[in-house]
Amino acid sequence: MNNNSNKMFFLFILFFSTLISISSNSWFGCWIGLEINLLSFIPLISNSKNLLSVETSLKYFLTQSLASINFLFMILIKFSLLKNFDMNNIISIMMNSSLLMKMGSAPFHFWFPNIVEGLSWMNNFMLMTWQKISPMILLSYYFNKNFLIFMIIMNLIIGSLGGLNQTSLRKLLAFSSINNLGWMIFSIMISENLWLFYFLIYSMMIFMMISLFFLMNMYFMNQLFINNMNFFIKLNLLINFLSLGGLPPFMGFMPKWIIINFLLINKFYFLTFIFMMTSLIIIYYYIRIIYSSFMFNYFKMKWMNLLMKNNMSLINLSSFISISSMILSTFIFM
Amino acid sequence: MCFNSFFFLFFFMLINFFFFVYFIMNGLSVFFEWEIISFNSMSIVMSILLDWMSLLFMMFVSLISSVVIFYSKSYMNSELNLNRLIILVLMFVFSMVLLIISPNLISILLGWDGLGLISYCLVIYYQNLKSYNAGMLTALSNRIGDVMILMVICWIMNYGSWNYIFYFDFMKNDYVMFIISFMIIIAAMTKSAQIPFSSWLPAAMAAPTPVSALVHSSTLVTAGVYLLIRFNYLLIDMFFFKVLLFLSILTMFMSGISANYEFDLKKIIALSTLSQLGLMMSILSLGFPDIAFFHLLTHAMFKALLFMCAGVIIHMMNDIQDIRYMGGLSLYIPLTSLCLNISNLSLCGIPFLSGFYSKDLILEMVSFNSFNLMVFILFYLSTGLTVFYTFRLIMYVMISDFNLMMIYNLYDEDYIMLNSMFVLLFMSLLSGSFLSWFIFFYPYMIYLPFNLKLMVIYVSILGSILGFMVSNMGIYSLNKLLLSYNLSSFLCLMWFMPNLSTYGLSYIYLNFSQILFKNIDMGWSEIYSGKGIFNILKNYSVFYNIYQMNNFKIYLFSFILWFMILFIFFFI
Repeated sequence: MNNNSNKMFFLFILFFSTLISISSNSWFGCWIGLEINLLSFIPLISNSKNLLSVETSLKYFLTQSLASINFLFMILIKFSLLKNFDMNNIISIMMNSSLLMKMGSAPFHFWFPNIVEGLSWMNNFMLMTWQKISPMILLSYYFNKNFLIFMIIMNLIIGSLGGLNQTSLRKLLAFSSINNLGWMIFSIMISENLWLFYFLIYSMMIFMMISLFFLMNMYFMNQLFINNMNFFIKLNLLINFLSLGGLPPFMGFMPKWIIINFLLINKFYFLTFIFMMTSLIIIYYYIRIIYSSFMFNYFKMKWMNLLMKNNMSLINLSSFISISSMILSTFIFM
Repeated sequence: MCFNSFFFLFFFMLINFFFFVYFIMNGLSVFFEWEIISFNSMSIVMSILLDWMSLLFMMFVSLISSVVIFYSKSYMNSELNLNRLIILVLMFVFSMVLLIISPNLISILLGWDGLGLISYCLVIYYQNLKSYNAGMLTALSNRIGDVMILMVICWIMNYGSWNYIFYFDFMKNDYVMFIISFMIIIAAMTKSAQIPFSSWLPAAMAAPTPVSALVHSSTLVTAGVYLLIRFNYLLIDMFFFKVLLFLSILTMFMSGISANYEFDLKKIIALSTLSQLGLMMSILSLGFPDIAFFHLLTHAMFKALLFMCAGVIIHMMNDIQDIRYMGGLSLYIPLTSLCLNISNLSLCGIPFLSGFYSKDLILEMVSFNSFNLMVFILFYLSTGLTVFYTFRLIMYVMISDFNLMMIYNLYDEDYIMLNSMFVLLFMSLLSGSFLSWFIFFYPYMIYLPFNLKLMVIYVSILGSILGFMVSNMGIYSLNKLLLSYNLSSFLCLMWFMPNLSTYGLSYIYLNFSQILFKNIDMGWSEIYSGKGIFNILKNYSVFYNIYQMNNFKIYLFSFILWFMILFIFFFI
């Protein structure tokens, strides 16, 4: 469907479904929200003229419905068999794993890079940011700490190792999203406020990168090398990648710093080590892309000119925010 | 820029002169002290000591530097960045003045380090490979002295402040003073290029000639002697002073011999400076600091003049410094050859020029007091060698036949250079007597037998005859130099000390570091951190990709598998 009004309609229902899912006071309401979420996202991503996007939407439907079925089943078992609030049992594990499958977190993440490969950039943005809200918040209502720590470790490792061998930009951002899911799940275990902070900054960074890739219509890594972008666009991309990796003066360092602070206060030393090392691998991969494409040896093509005159203000604004927001936030909050 | 600094320094010299006369006539000395900070028992003060010695030295330093800056206006007029050189020279003069007037070790350190650093900048001024090497040699040799002074600062904190002049009378026999004096002697030896550290002075001739005239003849190299003169009360009975005596007379002797084999004009003058420095250090270590100071000042005059004449000659020879290309110049450049001859003769100690007063006094003091035979022999032998190489130089440059080996431009009327040389000529004629009347209130009592008194003249005449005969050697003369090849290379290359102190010291470490670099940095360290970790991660990623690239139903099946695994895990 290419009509914008249809898309607006389904987008509206998508937003509403998340709100339903979050603000219900019964598990049943949560499940309803998740279902409506699924049902309204499918028309957004399917495009009957393109075979690949149809296949993508089918895959998405299958996995998400499997997860929803599982979720409903566990809810019903919980209602009928166990009437207590004990969190360290099999039911919580099952409920958490179905929510993790909804999000695309390891070990249920195999569909995620595949689907991301088949979507356009804006749909990817929706998938990576908005679709994670309701499973995360539902996770925070009833989670099993030991199970989640195990899942966090798997998320981090798979997100970092899987991204090393990719050339498609979408898959790269998908694995980075899986890695960041690990950070976000841990922040849920600390406090929901902290998760909100991390999530907002993460979605802002992803928005900046995806909008840049969308405007330049770049889907693969070799397109980064053979174009003729002017200096500021390259600088913006550089800053955004480094910020996503969590390098200090940029915005993306702040949430990671706070999470590490909480990790160390609560004495999760080994987990801190894994957070650090996988973060290093991710940043290695980013630096490998951006340095070699923008700094050391880059081509200046004469047969293709990217004129970006109309969009410079957005790019400049986003660069400014990325660089300075960490320091400016200290003026506001401290 | 040149004229401004020349006038400023000349005016400064006049002020110093008048204050010097006033201070020495009335026996005054002024001590300023500013306390910067004082905590617990340590107080950091900035002090300035103005007595006749520091004022006199400042007067000579500012006179030479003003004349040199005026000279370099014409010598370096084709230099685009002449302001850089002038600024460097002014900073050098400032560091030297700081060194001269300071009675406490911190400001001595400031002046000392400033001297070392700025002399490095000046030596590498021409920025070719030879200058870089020479600069490195200079800087690193001076650095040893800096380290020694730093350690002295550390040790003298034991006494509570860094003003060393207060502690001489009280702490002479203390163990800490023993260590301090040892380190001060080594620092002075590095700066004044005595035997273990003497390789930098001939190499530093890669600097521009005005810089050599200022730095390497009168100011930088005499800083070490000046420090020892200041510390003289402390050092006078110590054992190390005898070691210093030994090393300095060997320096004097060695450089006198090496200068006879040299054919580079500036190197001959550098080795003659080294020889005179050895003379100054040795007479200081024999216990006569005021004679050492006297010789320091007169030597500064005629050595600076000698460098400047050498600069004029090098300009005339189209930048050739080899004396074999020169000859017969005295007929064509009378004024320059006048200055050259007077400075050379003053260096030899010809009667009643300025060098005579100091040198002859030194030799008579050595003969009068009873020192041992080796000291006596080496002193007179070195004096003879001085005359030897001086006359050889005069023969090669001035007197022998006019070589048509270069394109000449015998332009003697460059009055900027000539006027600056005339100032120094005037001083080098008169400063001997002038200084001896001022510094020595009463003459030294010297009573010598007739032949011992004339020993100086015998040695000088012998040296001059040998210099004349040696310089007549030409291509067709029958000499058997190849038979004494080993001996002459030993004597010519400064007894192999440059090689020992550069390559000999660093060879082991460079070799070892090459082994370390090859085996660890480019070897095991790559496997355990650099490429090795990359390979491991890449293999893991490839391994993971096998699971990622699958059919969709495999994914769904894997989810079910995971659920079952988790279910089973809980019940186990």
